[in-house]
Amino acid sequence: MRISRGLRLAVALGLFATAAACGGGGDAGGSGDKVELTLLSHYSDGPSKEGLDKMIQQWNKENPKVQVKAQVVKFDDLLTTMTVRQTGGRGADIVSAYGLWGGQLMKANVVAKVPDDIATKIKAEYSPAALGAVTTGDTLLGYPTELNTYVLFYNKKILAAAGVSKPPTTWAELADAAKKTVKRDAKGNIQVEGLSLIQDGDNKSVHPFLSLLDAAGGKFLGSDGTAQFDNAQGKAALKFEADLAAAKATNPSIMPTKQFRSGGVAMAIQAGWWIGSLKTQMKDKYSSDVGVTAIPGPTAGSKGSLAYGFFMGVNQRSKHGDEAWKFLTWMNEHKAADGTVTETGKWLADQGLIPPRTADQAAYKKTLSDPNMAPIYDAATYAMAEPNQPGAYEAKTALHNAIMGVLADGKNPDDALSQAAKAVKPQ
Amino acid sequence: MTSAVGRVGTLAVPARRVGKLQREGRAAYLFLAPALVFFCVFLILPFIFAIVLAFSDWGGFDLGTLKWAGTANFGDVLSFDGTFVKPILVNTLLFAFGSVFLATFGSVLVAYCIDRLAFQGFWRVLYFLPVVATVVAIGNVWKMMYQPAGLINGVLNKLGVNSIGFLSDASYALPSVTVVQAWASIGGAVLILTAGLKAIPEMYYEAAEVDGANSWHMFWSITLPLLRPALLFVLITQFIGGLQSFALIIVMTGDGGPVNATNVAAFEMYQRAFKYGAWGTASAMAMVLFVIILAITLLQLWIARRRGEETS
Repeated sequence: MRISRGLRLAVALGLFATAAACGGGGDAGGSGDKVELTLLSHYSDGPSKEGLDKMIQQWNKENPKVQVKAQVVKFDDLLTTMTVRQTGGRGADIVSAYGLWGGQLMKANVVAKVPDDIATKIKAEYSPAALGAVTTGDTLLGYPTELNTYVLFYNKKILAAAGVSKPPTTWAELADAAKKTVKRDAKGNIQVEGLSLIQDGDNKSVHPFLSLLDAAGGKFLGSDGTAQFDNAQGKAALKFEADLAAAKATNPSIMPTKQFRSGGVAMAIQAGWWIGSLKTQMKDKYSSDVGVTAIPGPTAGSKGSLAYGFFMGVNQRSKHGDEAWKFLTWMNEHKAADGTVTETGKWLADQGLIPPRTADQAAYKKTLSDPNMAPIYDAATYAMAEPNQPGAYEAKTALHNAIMGVLADGKNPDDALSQAAKAVKPQ
Repeated sequence: MTSAVGRVGTLAVPARRVGKLQREGRAAYLFLAPALVFFCVFLILPFIFAIVLAFSDWGGFDLGTLKWAGTANFGDVLSFDGTFVKPILVNTLLFAFGSVFLATFGSVLVAYCIDRLAFQGFWRVLYFLPVVATVVAIGNVWKMMYQPAGLINGVLNKLGVNSIGFLSDASYALPSVTVVQAWASIGGAVLILTAGLKAIPEMYYEAAEVDGANSWHMFWSITLPLLRPALLFVLITQFIGGLQSFALIIVMTGDGGPVNATNVAAFEMYQRAFKYGAWGTASAMAMVLFVIILAITLLQLWIARRRGEETS
């Protein structure tokens, strides 16, 4: 009998331990009158973290009853973290997300509808490229934050040494410059890549291609999510890339973010944020070696770019939605110490990013000390906004595979585009 | 009467024993309860949930948005117009078969050689080291060696051969990662096969030697047949590992590229679920892979049992 009691006790303790191990505590939403808001973002280090922390500290000081707590993860883990936490009922009150995920987050009821008064103000005060990158269908997902546009980076010295006196302004000039600057050793190893058509990160070939597609007057997806790139413009843009690959003037195995700074890449189609990295990595060589210009199109005067953005929205499951919107409104509207731009605009510009608010953009554009920033700001006025409806991410991956098939495997561009278009399934 | 008394007697004793057994059984189950709860929560429930998801349309995040989709996900996954059957499933099978073949062949050779060397412990530790190292470290080291300016291309260049894009050329990428998977799993197989070799009685070799058999005959007619149970275990575990491989691909190629050349089922499932929010399709893929692994494992066991072998 005593043994039996002992057994029961042991089992009960075991079950208790298991339950304790399996269970998790919920996020404390607030105690008493005090509300604690959580903000999940990828601003995990450097100036991005410092700037956001500074704003949160100021808010917390001024609003003792609504405290904001930053939660950060690396960008690569952001979507996974959001998915897992939201599914487990522990989603953050405020989420910072990549615009491309917007449709997916909206379909899954993650982001709350932006209140009408706030939406009206955002639509009136932010640039079209920034709005486009964070709007799914007609639905605005939140406050636009980061905005990036694509431009052509080039190494002035490599171009000059190859006899190219001015940056290319048409596809023909771009191809000519790429072929003149490419260098290989006797074993066929690339010493200098003429034009890089890939970027670091997810779906690395798509953004440069979409910039060229925009320059040719083409579109990626329609508003209903159907493929729009399998046409004359799309074929022309991919044929341009295929010709460069056939001439071995471009090679997708070379990563420009690693090779450009040491003179291993002559030209690269990249996002504006790269300028900050180049300044840090190249130091004095940056101003003498690096030039930035608009991505040329097939004819003289034509140009194109892609704009992608991030946004901060409120979780639909947040118990403190009103407070969260109050914080976001304050964060995005209060002015910096000099009174000319918003604190958020300054925070983004300090990172080498384009502030999404039109007034901030205009203020910064007037005082740009680096001439390379001008084409990046200009691109915000004409760039194609990255589509973000449900299914856009899969469409982008299908397009990436098609482009890589052409660049790395020598596939026919028309066939590759046609196959990618078939893989695009509107949701 | 005697028989009745006897029957009562035989019933009375077992009744006490049955009672004791029942108490012991309850105690055993109670002791097992924490482990069973853990097993249910982390294995059975997720498996059942995956089955439900495979027949649903769900974008993640909110269980309230889960919708019944019937067999549509399986239709999408198994469609020949899609990418799952070809190249992804084909890649998965090539990767698994290739790595199992190379690892098994290599491990038999290494284990057989070690069994005939001095300092056997040292050699076993040496070959086991890759198993101790993390996949991330292994993947990154091999990735550097495969680079255009890496060690392997350096050697090829010295021999007058042009550089090969091991991870950037679609024709070479899958064989390149398969070799790494095989290399990384040889150590574990060597350990199991060495134990198998040690279990073969020496007298068979002595008798064969007396009969005039050479080393090759002894290996083919004694070692290999008697090593089959250990080999079967190695084959099954390596094959399952190969079919489920995920980390090495993501470390070495990042996105299963170039052009899906190294994309395997487990990686595609991860992408579908966590990137695209297509949990239904990802779960349908998981079910298809589960059936394939189960079928291949049962086939391996059936072949082995026909020959009267078990993995013991």
